[in-house]
Amino acid sequence: MALDMLSDVVQRCQALPVDSYTKEDHDVFMTAGRTCIEEGNSVQVLSIILDEKNQDMVSCMGWNLLPALIQVLLKKEDNLPQCLGIFNHLLETCRPKELLIGLLELLEQDDPDTIAESLHLLLNPLQKVLLRLGSRKASSLGMALSTVLDQLAKLPLPHTKEQEEDDVFSLCRCCTDLTTFVRPFVQEVRLNLLTSEELSESTTKMTIGRDNDREDELRTELLKFCMKTLSYPLFEVQLKDTDSLAVSPLRNFATEILNTLSAIRESITSLVYQPLLKRKQVPGFLEEEVRYPQESLASVAHLVFVHHLAADVFPCVFSPVFSLRCNMEHVCPLLSRREETRIQKGLELYEKSLVRVEDGSLPVDLMEIKTFLTLPQNLVKVMTMCQRQDLRSKGLKVFQLSIDKFDTEAKHKFFQYMLKTSHHSGVEGYIIKNIRNQINVALQSGDGNTWFQGVHLLPLLRKVLILPDGPETDLLENLDRLMESLNLLRYLIIRDKVTENQTGIWTELYKIEDTFMKPLRVGLNMSRAHYERELHNTMDTKRSKDKEESKISVLVGGENLPHVTSESQIQVCHCLMLKSCSCHIYLHLYGINDGQTLMCLLRLYTQLYTRLT
Amino acid sequence: MATEPAREWSDEQLKSDDLPKKDIIKFIQDNAAHSFLNEHKLLGNIKNVAKTAKKEQLIVAYSQLFESKRFKGTEPVEEVTEQVKQVKIEDKPKEAKTEVVYEGPPKYTKSVLKKGDKTNFPKKGETVSCWYTGTLEDGTVFDTNIPAAARKKKQTKPLSFKIGLGRVIRGWDEAILTMSKGEHARLEIESDWAYGKKGLPDSKIPPNAKLIFELELVAVD
Repeated sequence: MALDMLSDVVQRCQALPVDSYTKEDHDVFMTAGRTCIEEGNSVQVLSIILDEKNQDMVSCMGWNLLPALIQVLLKKEDNLPQCLGIFNHLLETCRPKELLIGLLELLEQDDPDTIAESLHLLLNPLQKVLLRLGSRKASSLGMALSTVLDQLAKLPLPHTKEQEEDDVFSLCRCCTDLTTFVRPFVQEVRLNLLTSEELSESTTKMTIGRDNDREDELRTELLKFCMKTLSYPLFEVQLKDTDSLAVSPLRNFATEILNTLSAIRESITSLVYQPLLKRKQVPGFLEEEVRYPQESLASVAHLVFVHHLAADVFPCVFSPVFSLRCNMEHVCPLLSRREETRIQKGLELYEKSLVRVEDGSLPVDLMEIKTFLTLPQNLVKVMTMCQRQDLRSKGLKVFQLSIDKFDTEAKHKFFQYMLKTSHHSGVEGYIIKNIRNQINVALQSGDGNTWFQGVHLLPLLRKVLILPDGPETDLLENLDRLMESLNLLRYLIIRDKVTENQTGIWTELYKIEDTFMKPLRVGLNMSRAHYERELHNTMDTKRSKDKEESKISVLVGGENLPHVTSESQIQVCHCLMLKSCSCHIYLHLYGINDGQTLMCLLRLYTQLYTRLT
Repeated sequence: MATEPAREWSDEQLKSDDLPKKDIIKFIQDNAAHSFLNEHKLLGNIKNVAKTAKKEQLIVAYSQLFESKRFKGTEPVEEVTEQVKQVKIEDKPKEAKTEVVYEGPPKYTKSVLKKGDKTNFPKKGETVSCWYTGTLEDGTVFDTNIPAAARKKKQTKPLSFKIGLGRVIRGWDEAILTMSKGEHARLEIESDWAYGKKGLPDSKIPPNAKLIFELELVAVD
């Protein structure tokens, strides 16, 4: 039936000129043609399509048969060779723009399997069609690449090396196909650039002006494509190195993207160092920030410094400090992102840049650069708030590494800055521990390190040996910081002899009594009273209610606390700990005047604390 | 001993005409915190300060300095961060005003293979372009921007960068300033002025590596 209808309309149209085909002719051809293919009558359709007399009609209406053909090809049903034959003929005969629209529509699928199969099937035909567009292909290529990448984004990403090897959702295969797809266009741009260079050496540019624009457009589309892929999928996945996965399609894809950038004369070096280089404004239809998205540039830096791709073309002459400064511009925004992939890559890039720098070599004037202040703040957020424990640990490790690279004056300034701005007891405690280490180094080496001794040390000490909110300071919340402060004080008193007073602590001690020890005593008293009250209230209210079985038992004066929930028990433990500590400190610090006794008692306090935690 | 500056002059000595104002100003400028100097109007050229400040003011300032102990390095952090906030985001840090300290002989040697034009010498901050090949002492080529095929040299560009700003290894920063446009030279750079104790991890450059470059200075700004 359908075949008859098709034959009829074809015969009718043979006699007519192309522009007098009616809408009905179009519709009948399309419906009948599709039905024939669906019903398995591809042989007849093929012979109609190939018939010399029908070529005008085919070039005009043939592209409408694409959906039906692709269905057959995807499902790999019978009549495969005939459908392929029809398909190939249409690709050569129909109008490229219409074919393009038809093919792109067919790419837009929803479920991952169909997406992967469609991409695999259609990228090559798409390439053929685009090549037929000649010098007008740039915007069509852009459209095609945009659609392809949108579809690619719907495929699940492999995370482990096994997943990459198995490639169940065919993402890796699609990436490989994509490389093959863009190759001729990259080659075209490469040759264009070469030709225009040679021409500009010999003749005037007047005649080639218009072509230049078109070539620039093509280059721009490829640049856009590279920038997009650097972000997705490349910045999302964890590339495996050659040791863990010898053949990695994703690593190959990354390498190909970098090669493409080089081929279209986008210097990898310039991309990596871009934050600190003044790029000349490129007139065109893309703004700088859009043209070179921050994340894509960070991705290039990560591929170069962490995965060592493009090692052959990347110069080994830039100073480690300059590389660090540039990479910090890439890293800083990454650390303030929510996505853990971004944070991880930021930490990796920062770490790799830091290890190249010699310890104690970064001078204090670098602290005038804004990023040297904002990056540690972002890092602190990662260390304290990131959900993943391994990222928090790594953040801390990188934080210490960054501190080690500053020279002593810069460390001094950095510590002051962090004490002022981090607003987190754990971080403050960590900084204070670093201060103690630096003082230790200064006292041991006697190398005239002026920043952690004497006059310069005192302002720093004053910021450490202080209660942030006076006697009202919440001791539990500030516990980490306070413990490190007391440890530091204890260290100074033990290590620095009264007769030498290299650190200046002995002349400061009377002030510290006023600003630190006295308020601490008062605060401890207040806490003790508060927690004693809390303890009584807790035990009263909880004892009267029937609660769940407690998992831990607490002994107080030989008796078990009955009917106390684990939550309350934690509270109770805190109370008791603080109560004991404060009792002891209260008794022993009261009326202290000389450093030697203070030293003994602080030692006692520290022992006590260690025993309780 | 605490390293607080010593209070050399007694009150009598200060008041005496034998002690010139300039000496007192110099001492205070050398030892006081920036904010202290600012408040007491003691910033700037010593001669100028001496013109505007009275001896009595200086004596008072001297005493106050030791009482308040507002020596260099004791500036409150608030001031520091405020100053830091006010600094515009710059591409590069302000050039640190370092005194010219003689660090020893240069840690590189240069042999000229082909003379340059001996006129166009690059200045600090200018952009230079060069072709280069870098080898280790054992002859391993670790880096080059000269393509293997001669015809490809047309397609590649020489490496461009700003000289004298610490962007490249020190050996390059120092040596290139002595080269003129067109000069082709062989540089042997000791590791201290190259990649030092660390080398370049994960690359061909090991720790403490002396680097040898053949460098052609193609263009100067």
